[in-house]
Amino acid sequence: MNDVVIRVRGLRMAYGSVRVLEGVDLDLRRGEVFTLLGPNGAGKTTLVEILEGFRTGWTGEVSVLGENPARAGDAWRARLGVVLQSWRDHPRWRVRDLLRHVAAHYDDPRDVDDLLAVLGLTESADVRAAVLSGGQRRRLDVALGIVGRPEVLFLDEPTTGFDPEARREFHLLIERLAAEEGLTVLLTTHDLAEAERLSGRIAVLVAGRVLTCGSPAELARAVQAPSRVRWAEGELETDDPSGVAWELHRRYGGPVPGLEIRRPTLEESYLDLIEEARTR
Amino acid sequence: MNATMLGLRRGWIEQLNQWSDRKELFNAVAGSVVTYGLLILWIGDTPVGGTTVTAGTFMTPGFIAFAIFTTGLTALPMLIAADREEGTLLRARTLPRGIRVYLVGRATTVLLTILVNVALVLAFAIPLAGVPAPATPARWFTLAWVVVLGTLAVVPVGAVIGSLLPGPKAGAMLALPAMLLMVVSGVMLPLETLPDLVRRIAEVFPLYWQALGLRAALLPDSVLATEVAHVWRLGQAATVLGAWAVGGMVLAPWLLRRVRGR
Repeated sequence: MNDVVIRVRGLRMAYGSVRVLEGVDLDLRRGEVFTLLGPNGAGKTTLVEILEGFRTGWTGEVSVLGENPARAGDAWRARLGVVLQSWRDHPRWRVRDLLRHVAAHYDDPRDVDDLLAVLGLTESADVRAAVLSGGQRRRLDVALGIVGRPEVLFLDEPTTGFDPEARREFHLLIERLAAEEGLTVLLTTHDLAEAERLSGRIAVLVAGRVLTCGSPAELARAVQAPSRVRWAEGELETDDPSGVAWELHRRYGGPVPGLEIRRPTLEESYLDLIEEARTR
Repeated sequence: MNATMLGLRRGWIEQLNQWSDRKELFNAVAGSVVTYGLLILWIGDTPVGGTTVTAGTFMTPGFIAFAIFTTGLTALPMLIAADREEGTLLRARTLPRGIRVYLVGRATTVLLTILVNVALVLAFAIPLAGVPAPATPARWFTLAWVVVLGTLAVVPVGAVIGSLLPGPKAGAMLALPAMLLMVVSGVMLPLETLPDLVRRIAEVFPLYWQALGLRAALLPDSVLATEVAHVWRLGQAATVLGAWAVGGMVLAPWLLRRVRGR
């Protein structure tokens, strides 16, 4: 399949005797927003850094845009956008100067003033990067990540420090870029609501292994956290909420007063999954 | 835009950003010129080594050489260590040709700093300290190539040191060896009382040759009496400075690409 943009098979990486990745398999398709979830120390950052071409010394098979990231050159790098966690770089530079400078590294960059407007930075264009608020700085990082019209965008905890409105705007922007320009996004986040909102698929990485990979609904099903059925006179946890509801209807001979069925949220599924992996 | 042009522009913006901070501008300018002025007032009139050349005249090329040397090997590593700590270097790694653009940019800021220093010291020295301007076009040419090659000899190596420093504050450790080297290189006063071995050690480093080249450009030949071989060893100066430049240019990009930025 030639619309697979990132392909990983049997990826292993160790720092000395500490094994960080123990055989990771992944496929990302063009235009997909893919989330990598996992607790701290699961190997997320290492995995993403390998895909970005910043780490060597791994074994296995990794292809990003058809090339091995450890050996790919500038033409390949020009097709990537990277938004890392907590940048503080270029503190003395003015926002517009920095964005212009970064844009000049690419053949066909986005219009700098348009991009500032889209990310709500027009009024901060002449401000030095060091004095931006946390959310403004983050939006500048995103602008720097997409100014070169990348085909693949790596986003590490992108919306930390955003207010709800800015977060919503950001989500809309990412969805639009994925849908209209075929941008492939690899997102790492702790924010499950964000993962659920943005992702086609989610992979859960625990202790260097992908435990499960699929849509939020599939993820919930994979762990089979029990659903909770509640009604006026009781409540219980079950793997078969539909069957319980049918049972209740028959018992009441009609509508069940106060019937409420709650399927596990992504967060519950995720926490169950991690818990399970830990006790295994 | 090609990487060199982009790097030159980057360096220019970077330098303007730095100069727009008045305190930093004052430090940069006052640091060297005031020190130079005080030295001239203090020992400026004494003739050196049985010649008619005064200490003030003699140390002017040495002062310029030392400014070039420390800008490249002390100030630059601290800037690079700071860039690394702030993530500026890591940002460069995420961009196509980013490291090359970054290095050209840093080289540009260092070159601008050195040029401003050299110009300020010369502007002060020629009319005020009685230092003669280079007498012939050939000497102007010597001044130019020694400043350029002397800069190239220290900038890439400075970048290498910067990539190896644990942090910007560790850069202060570099000041002491630089001072020691200044003493044993005969930069400020002729070196005739030092043991042969110490002189040979000094001759390994660029500072000795930067100072020698600048003396050849700025001082009258009567001062040759104080030189080791009694001739201007310019060929040797070019060889040693060139070797440092080439070695640094090979090592620097390779090392900077491997620096852990996170």
